[in-house]
Amino acid sequence: MSVRIVVCAKEVLDPDAVNNYALEGRLTIGDDGRTLTQTSIPRVMNAYDEQGIEAALRLREAGLACTITVVSVGVADGSEILKHAAALGADEIVAIPLDQTTTDHHGIARLLAAYLRSSGGAGIVLCGRQASDDDQGVVPALVGELLDMPVVTVARSLEALGEGALRVVRVTPDGDETVEVSCPAIVTISNELGTPRYPTMAGRMAARKKKATVLQADSLGVSDLRPKVVLARQFVPAVKGECEIIGGTAAEAAERLVARLRAESVLRS
Amino acid sequence: MTGVVVCTWGMGRAGGPPAGTEELLTLARKTARALDSKLHWLVLGPLPNDAAAVAGRYGVAGIDHVADAKLERFQADVHVAALAQYCRAKLPRLVLVGQTHDARLLAPRVAGRIGAAVVMNGMDVARAEGGGLQVTASAYGGDTRVAYDLVGDGAFVVGVNTSVLLPEPDGSAAVPVDTIPVDLSGVEERIRVTARAVTEGPRLEDADIVVAGGRGLGAPENFRLVTELAAALGGMAGASRPIVDDGWAEPFRQVGLTGRITRPTLYVAVGISGASQHMVGCAAAKTLVAINRDPEAAVFRYARYGIVGDCLEILPELIRVVKT
Repeated sequence: MSVRIVVCAKEVLDPDAVNNYALEGRLTIGDDGRTLTQTSIPRVMNAYDEQGIEAALRLREAGLACTITVVSVGVADGSEILKHAAALGADEIVAIPLDQTTTDHHGIARLLAAYLRSSGGAGIVLCGRQASDDDQGVVPALVGELLDMPVVTVARSLEALGEGALRVVRVTPDGDETVEVSCPAIVTISNELGTPRYPTMAGRMAARKKKATVLQADSLGVSDLRPKVVLARQFVPAVKGECEIIGGTAAEAAERLVARLRAESVLRS
Repeated sequence: MTGVVVCTWGMGRAGGPPAGTEELLTLARKTARALDSKLHWLVLGPLPNDAAAVAGRYGVAGIDHVADAKLERFQADVHVAALAQYCRAKLPRLVLVGQTHDARLLAPRVAGRIGAAVVMNGMDVARAEGGGLQVTASAYGGDTRVAYDLVGDGAFVVGVNTSVLLPEPDGSAAVPVDTIPVDLSGVEERIRVTARAVTEGPRLEDADIVVAGGRGLGAPENFRLVTELAAALGGMAGASRPIVDDGWAEPFRQVGLTGRITRPTLYVAVGISGASQHMVGCAAAKTLVAINRDPEAAVFRYARYGIVGDCLEILPELIRVVKT
């Protein structure tokens, strides 16, 4: 027997590039009031989802007999992120093309749930903890409800306990927590998993030949994807920028700062 | 469809409501008024100390209390079931939860179960021009803001980042507490915790002064300077994620998106560049001081006061001055 692992991946604007533009004060929104306009920002796989693939590969390397499928909603055949997934070692890549502005997270979750159902289910579903563009992180939980699967969030590491269960170390604000869950289960992966690998040359060569399975929403039996949550506007927040730099030698700056904080009663003694 | 519900579980400082409750109630009261409807506060599990008094200060029409032995501590399946049953019975239009780690799972699961729409990272909920609700949220790790229209007559669940809000008490009415029955007898937790995260002693969330260190400290042993300054100020030491990952500081000290959300009077960021993921955890500080060698560091954009220089030279001086 072999466990089917399905990793859900999203294509996003490179958040580091977005952040660089933001820090330089050059991040701008287009005429539609919603879309970032910088054409030089590359589109990449959501880094947390890439860590989902990494987690799947590590389960395989640890000896779990499994197949790894990577599915993405909102990309077309020939998608670079799916090629990347194949180069990393995905056995199967699946594209569900869709203009994402025509639906919301619930719609995305319904498509993923319909895909999982129609493709024979999965023992383990791995997702990034959130997408780095909208930061919502709600799709895994919604899929979990639609398929009645438990959802373990913000994993640092996972280990297969045979084929029927997982042990997951979760990152929590109180430190690490270890949990066990029976499969089928959904696990969301956090950056604490560690840096994902790069594809090997051989992996890249093999990926060139790999074709994505392309599935349309209606063939999955999903209709009426009309959103209840609609992006009306996006804007760049005003930065405070009122920082007062306190100068002098280290000793002088320290004295001036503490005097200021005491004068303003931020410090009481 | 009736009203706005704030849902909380667990306790905060001294057995009181969890951190952020008063901020959340402030936003919920404003939203309820805009919708011309009532605000209810739903407590899952043990009632926090002073809940009725707090409710009275924030215009809550009634506390709805769901008590069950299974709700003593957070368990996802049980809490989701309890809130979903409540929503099916009371049909709230809008459910607001403070965005803790647990809420990040609970909110979308409840939404999925009752067929509601969900938005996380909320910073404001207001009436849009067309009369519907609009949620302002953060995106791109805080680099942008987004406004989402909530379309239709259905229910909505919104996770709110309370660290960006201020509490505004108003009045002191007597608030009734209603016990709401739910049936959790058939709910078995599917996730078994085999090793719980342990925290003891004071919590960063409750600290009035936080001194936090990052990579700019240069070496693990220099975190001691952060701890010393924190102690001299009567506060707590915090840390950025990279140095927690590298073992320079204990995990419970981590501030930011994957760590603690602090709301101190004074936050001193030492050798921290100011990545948005970190700033999420200290944006609510009343006064933010940044010490960094790089005058272009993003942290200075958020700070009230800044010192540009080597933190290894500045920290000993600060410790000396504070002690005198």
